[in-house]
Parts: sequence; C-alpha cells; structure tokens
Amino acid sequence: MAMLQRRILKSTLEEAKARFNFNCYPLLPPCASFSTLPSSSTTATAHDDVPPQLPPFDYQPKPYNGPSADEILAKRKRFLGPSLFYYYQKPLNIVEGKMQYLYDESGRRYLDAFAGIVTVSCGHCHPEILNAIVEQSKLLQHATTIYLHHAIADFAEALASKMPGNLKVVYFVNSGSEANELAMLMARLYTGSLGMISLRNAYHGGSSSTIGLTALNTWKYPIPEGEIHHVMNPDPFRGVFGSDATRYAKEVQDHIEYGTSGKVAGFIAETIQGVGGAVELAPGYLKQVYDIVRKAGGVCIADEVQTGFGRTGSHYWGFETQGVIPDIVTMAKGIGNGLPLGAVVTTPEIASVMAQKIQFNTFGGNPVCSAGGLAVLRVIDREKRQAHCADVGSHLIGRLRSLQDKHDIIGDVRGRGLMVGIELVTDRKEKTPAKAETAILFEKMRELGVLVGKGGLHGNVFRIKPPMCFSKDDADFLVDALDYAMSKL
Amino acid sequence: MQRFTPARRLLSEFKCSLRRQRRCFSQVAPNVVDNNDGFGPKIPSFDYSPPPYTGPSADEILSKRKEYLSPAMFTLYSKPLNIVDGRMQYLFDDKGRRYLDAFGGIATVCCGHCHPDVVEAIVNQTKRLQHSTILYLNHAIADFAEALANKLPGNLKVVFFTNSGTEANELAMMIARLYTGCHDIISVRNAYHGNASGTMGATAQSIWKFNVIQSGVHHAVNPDPYRGVFGSDGEKYARDVEDLIQFGTSGNIAGFISEAIQGVGGIIELAPGYLPAVYSTIKKAGGLCIADEVQAGFARTGSHFWGFENHGVVPDIVTMAKGIGNGIPLGAVVTTPEIAAVLTRRSYFNTFGGNPVCTTAGLAVLKVIEKEKLQENAFVVGTYLKERLTALKDKYELIGDVRGRGLMLGVELVSDEKLKTPAKLETLHIMDQMKEMGVLVGKGGFYGNVFRITPPLCFTKEDADFLVDAMDHIIARM
Repeated sequence: MAMLQRRILKSTLEEAKARFNFNCYPLLPPCASFSTLPSSSTTATAHDDVPPQLPPFDYQPKPYNGPSADEILAKRKRFLGPSLFYYYQKPLNIVEGKMQYLYDESGRRYLDAFAGIVTVSCGHCHPEILNAIVEQSKLLQHATTIYLHHAIADFAEALASKMPGNLKVVYFVNSGSEANELAMLMARLYTGSLGMISLRNAYHGGSSSTIGLTALNTWKYPIPEGEIHHVMNPDPFRGVFGSDATRYAKEVQDHIEYGTSGKVAGFIAETIQGVGGAVELAPGYLKQVYDIVRKAGGVCIADEVQTGFGRTGSHYWGFETQGVIPDIVTMAKGIGNGLPLGAVVTTPEIASVMAQKIQFNTFGGNPVCSAGGLAVLRVIDREKRQAHCADVGSHLIGRLRSLQDKHDIIGDVRGRGLMVGIELVTDRKEKTPAKAETAILFEKMRELGVLVGKGGLHGNVFRIKPPMCFSKDDADFLVDALDYAMSKL
Repeated sequence: MQRFTPARRLLSEFKCSLRRQRRCFSQVAPNVVDNNDGFGPKIPSFDYSPPPYTGPSADEILSKRKEYLSPAMFTLYSKPLNIVDGRMQYLFDDKGRRYLDAFGGIATVCCGHCHPDVVEAIVNQTKRLQHSTILYLNHAIADFAEALANKLPGNLKVVFFTNSGTEANELAMMIARLYTGCHDIISVRNAYHGNASGTMGATAQSIWKFNVIQSGVHHAVNPDPYRGVFGSDGEKYARDVEDLIQFGTSGNIAGFISEAIQGVGGIIELAPGYLPAVYSTIKKAGGLCIADEVQAGFARTGSHFWGFENHGVVPDIVTMAKGIGNGIPLGAVVTTPEIAAVLTRRSYFNTFGGNPVCTTAGLAVLKVIEKEKLQENAFVVGTYLKERLTALKDKYELIGDVRGRGLMLGVELVSDEKLKTPAKLETLHIMDQMKEMGVLVGKGGFYGNVFRITPPLCFTKEDADFLVDAMDHIIARM
C-alpha cells in the first residue's frame, strides 16, 4: 500500500517539479550548502529533488580562525581518551550558537533540534541570560555559601515559587548526576530504608551510584550498585501491557512485596524518559505508583532534568502531566540554559534529615550560575515559553503524525510540547528497531542542516528537543527535511 | 610593618599572655575593636573601588536562606558577611568594606577574584557558545586538555572533565575499580574527597559521613606529623596500609586515594616518606594510586605545580577541581591511556563536562599562572608567611603548630601545648575578630581548631604581614 502511495506521490511530485523547475537551481546537487540560498517558505510536501531550506535568520556569526575539525579531532583522540564519543562519521565543529541555531567552522547554520541534549532551554547566547552571566562574572564568580550572597537566595526563592505543595527547600549542585545522588541520599536517610526503585529504560546519571538507578545497559559499568531494583517500564509503544497503567503499577507492588522487606527508600522516574527515547509513561501510572511507594514508607522522586521548565507545554513540570506531587524533585540541564547547574527541591521535613551531618558543595549555588538560573526563569515566564512549547509542539507532532502515515519506517511518534520522539522500525508489526536506517537518516539530517538527537536502547529513536524558541517554521523545516531524507532511503 | 618589637615589651606581653592562658579559656575574651580605623594593623592599599551595592541586605538574604535553602547550610561568622564583589585577593561586603581573602573561596580562587584575563576569556566564550556537549567538536576542550596534560608527568595524558571535585573523585574511584576488577579502596583517616556515595566512603571524618551504606573503603592511620602516633616517620604509617590489605582485603585492591596536604582535615602534610612507601605497597597489590589535587594542585604549594610532586611520586590517576577554573564549576580526572581505555567498555557521559566556557576559563587560568609566575609567588610569599607565623607560634602557646607549604598553610590552636587540647572556642573567637580587622581565613581540622590559609596566589608579602599582624594583635589582647 505504501509503495503505491509512494509511486503516486512520486509522479505527482515530478509533475510539480516540471512546473517549479525554473524557480530552482537545478545545477546544484541535492545536499549542497544551501544556507546561502535565499530561503523560501516550505510547503507540506517535500520536493523530490530540491531539499527543504532553513527558515531565514537575521544574524551573522563571527569569523572563525581557530583550529579545524581535523586538528581538534586529533587532539581529542590523544588527550581526551577513546571513550569520548561523538556524533556523525565526520564530526561537526560547532563554534557559535544563536537562539535555536548553531554554526560550524565555515559559518554554515544548522537548526539545533537537540539543544545540547535538552539543555539550552531559552536559546544559545540568549541576550538576557548572557547579560546576567557577564555582569555577575565581572563582580564575583565564586566565594561559596559560607558567606552570604543575594543571587543564591533570590534564585532559590524563585525556583521554590514554581513548585507545588510544600516543595520549597532548594539544594544547588553542579549536574543532574549530583542532583540525583543527593535525592537518593535524602530518600535513604529520611526513610531509614535502603531499597530504591527505578524504571527499566531510565537514565538518571553517569556517576557510580546513579549508574545503579540508570537502567540501560549501554550506560552501566559492571560495578556494585547497592540496593536498587528496576521495574517494568510503562512504555505504551513497546511495553507488554500497552498503556494499561494499572498492570504496570502492580509490578511495583509485586516487587515491594516479594523483592524487599516490605519497606523501601524511594522511587524515581522521569515523566518522559529522555535517553531512553522520549518514552512517555503510560497515563495514570505515577498516581498509582506514588500511592504504592508511599504506603511502603518510600519517598517519590521526580527527575525533571529533561522535562522541566515548561518544555512539555501543557505544564511547567513533567510530573504535573501525571497529576502527582513528588516528595523530591531533581533538575539540571535546562535550568541554566547550559550553565553547569543542578538542583534538588524537597520539603522542609525531608530536608531536615540532611542536618544530621554536614554536606557541602563548593561550587553549588555560586553567584554566576544562580544569576544565570534566575534569568532563565524570568525569560521562560516573560517570553511565555511554556505556551509556545504547547503551540509549536502540537504543530510539530501533528506534522510528524502525517509523516508517519506516509513513511512505514516511522513506528511511533510520541511526546509532548517540545519533547518529542520518533521511533523508526523496519517492521511495523514486529516493531523491529531500524538501527541502520536511523544512523543513515541521522547523517542525512545533518547534511540537510538539522541536528537531532538519538536515543532508545537500540539507538532507533530521534529525539527532538530544541531550544524552546523553536518556531513553527523550524518545525516545518525539520519535518520536510525528514520527509526528504526518508524519501531518498 | 611591625616585625621587631623591643625585647622588654615582648617579654612583658609574653608574661601577660602566659598569665591569661593559665586562666580558664572557656570564657571567650571581649571583642577587640570592630573596625580598622587607626587602631591595629592596616590592610595594604589597593587601587579599586567596587560599584555601590543596591541589592538585598544581609538580613533579607539570611531570612530567604532560612526559608528556601538547606537548614544545614552554615556561615562562618556570628554575624555573617554579605560578600558582593571581589578583586584579586580582596573581597568587598555590601557596605563596600574591603577584606583580605585569605581563604580563596576554599582554595578555589587561585588567580584572583575577577582576574581580567580569566573574565575576558569567560565573557568572550559565553557570547559565542555556552554549551553544545562533546557530541560535537569544539576547540576549547581539546586545547585545554592538551595544556593540562602537558603539566603532568609520566604518561598521564588522558583527561576527563567533570563539574566538581566530588564528580572527579567518584569517576577516579570507578575507573580504579573497573580497571582492577577489585572493589576495595584505601583512603586516609581525616581525608576529604567528596560528598557523593563513593567519595563519602573515601572521606574519613564522621561529621561528613551520613548513615548510609559506604562500601569497599578502608581507612588507614593518618600520617599526621603533629598528632599522629608515629610523628613524622612516614614508613611506619605506611605499614598500616600493608596490614589493611593483608588482613582486610583479598590481598588485591582497586586502589589508594589521598590528598598530598589534607585540606578540610586541617592542612596536614603527609609525613615524609609515606607516599613512596604506600604507592609501592599499592602497586604490589595490583591497585592504582589516585592523587587528589583538588586543593594542593595548580601551583598552590609553591615548590611544585602538583602536591604529589612534593613527595616524589607519580600517581596513576590525578583528580582536580577548585583552583582549576578560578571558581568556575569545573573538575578533571587525568590518567594514562591504558587506564582510560577501561571506560570504553560502556558509555560514560557528562553533559556539562568540558563545555566551552569552563574549558576556556581553565586554559586562561593555566596561562595566568605561568605568565604571572604564580607558583613562584606562592613559594616566596608562602615561605615568608610561614616564617612569620612560626615566629608567632614561638610567641604564643596558644599556637600549637604551623604547617603547610606555599600558600596552603595551617595554624593549629591548642589550649595545652603538651596535651594538644584543641582550642575550639578560641579559634572561633579569633576568626571572628580577624574578620572584624579585615582578614578572612578559613577553618578546618577534625576539631575545628585549625586556621586554613589558602588565599588567591597573587597574595603579597604585605598581605602576609597584615594577616600575621592582625592575628598577633588579637591574640595579644586575649
């Protein structure tokens, strides 16, 4: 059926090509550097021979006089070790960024649909955030919290005001891993129990103990992890129970009853799994599980490292999409638009257990990162980024679903707001991961000027999580590029 | 510069202080003057005026901290300082008053607060690209890794960037365990290595250890020349490490981690001969030697760039943070290509680690250290400062020990020289008074009775004089 559709489409497009030929540049090969071509508004259907074009953008990057990609790669291999992997066969030398675009060493512009892994939330070098960082860097970079400084207090207050319930004590750290480590420590101290529960396919960090919470073998080194168990993933696309949250929740109940003393320290989950491939937990899951975990004396931790700060569009925090209020919330990535910053927010009651001993974070809450973080919160509010994510996100998902009707290789389109995943399969029934095809399309997208992310255990999911200033035109360009690339597979 | 006082006055002062020390010191002495105007030593001159501060007051900040930040968050003084501006080795409070920063944001600000070269590098890079991750190339991380590797001896030339010292030590411990296939790690009592699960285990002071599982770490007797049972005999202490391995482990271990000079532990320099002997033992047990250079690294010890160099050893893994970026959140682990390969078995990734802004700052820091000869300055000024502090120790029984190297110095206060009873209250009092006089020092040691002096490395002899004179002035009046 799809073959027939494709043939019809092809002949239609060929007709269209004949009509449009005089407008195009037929001498240029399909994958030329087209950022210098005058941009034209894209249409819903991709033209077979002419690749879609980047939306226009009024900005000139600075000329780059630094080392070339090859020189950098050679140094990386020598001084940064073989475990430091990179994207693309011919890795990209990214030298500058502006809002939702990145520039390589030749000044070519790319649509950044991955935001440095869901991290550049407001946009590269967003002027207001830049100003906050620069001004504070000139005054005071670092002194530690042994002295007072207003930036950390103001930022903590602003962050706490975004939280529901009694979540209002903030701990600042330097990364998501540090945040989740701290959350785990709090859970164990508060409950007096050891057992932690996380979801299969989760990613919570790369440090030696958050590796225990992470549940994807690619990221797990063979080291002792302590009392951590992974329960069935409430994955609507691949999960054995589909979207039946109750069945998945029962798994948690069973684990507690058979696999623990009956009491646990805590449960941690991302509302939309990031590294795991933008998998949104089956609706209603968290409500039931939070109940079960709390009855077993455990605390509920929401990992908002990727889903937080308005990205889901419908809500500010990912956990709000499931209608729950956690006991501890961890965040990083988008919190500082790229600044090395993380945070843990919890209730005064849980925070009080941390007062038993001293825990100190030298860099945590430093004036520059706090000033940057506060600027991020203000920008998100003032520029109505959350509503924007809902708007553009639904447009993007809508267009991707249409694309799914067109290309069999798209097994699933999922997500919310600007946290979207596209899973590629070679067989829609078997859902066989289309690993090779994903890799090829990934490269093709880069050639076309779109930088996406990749995820899922089998590396067959495109992760679309751009800076939240991503526009509808950007979305159209992305979908058209994907369409174009898929048509050429 | 007060350096020599007439002998008679010195003697009468000494007698007075002796008499006072025989009294009960649990009574804290009355406050000395609370400002520096025309009484007592004066802060060296400095040509910089901070912009006027119009932000929230200290009280407003304190109340927000109480409400929105950790209840365990502490400040250093009875009346906490609101620090709003910094320039080189000085900090400014909300009233524009200048203080000598002899603590360096905990041995972190090495080039000086808002050092122009470092700020310029940070600002320029931030305007270009803050973050994209190492999934794409960027020259900043490569250039900095190369420059850093060039500062290390042997085959230590593969760098992993993290965001803190804790992350660096956690990674180092994981690497050692993966490389050797063993779990046991030995650290030294009184050490501080971090606050996450693995590093909390390696950290060895009860106040920093929560009641959670910390497995696979054994703590060796501290080779503490001042309080340790074997004095300065490094090799005798090293035997404890041998015993730990022979009796407490399978005989093969993952590794050993130590600071060359314990920072949080009170500026305790490991007894000479300890590290070479221990490193030999560890290697025999198949383990890796990890040098925690978070505080002692980056020219601070003056005589060498790295703390471990003072002990004549070459570690297998070196961890760093704090001074590496002059205050920017950055950490690093450096090891050999052979050991580094162990992480290729799976994927290790650090989202923020190695970002363009922090690595650009790191490279700027290395350049400043070299250009301004900060290592040499640390040596010269540090030696001078230690001499003056030692003279002060001879003057007052309250000072039990003066130790350290370069601009990593400690002054331990005791109420009984023989018993070495920690003078905790006196330490708090003097620290508070030092602040009133305009000097900010740090505190450490298991008993909280050690002044930690770890200023920015641009600290001068005049600054050293001011610090010592202030301390002298205060103790004399106790």
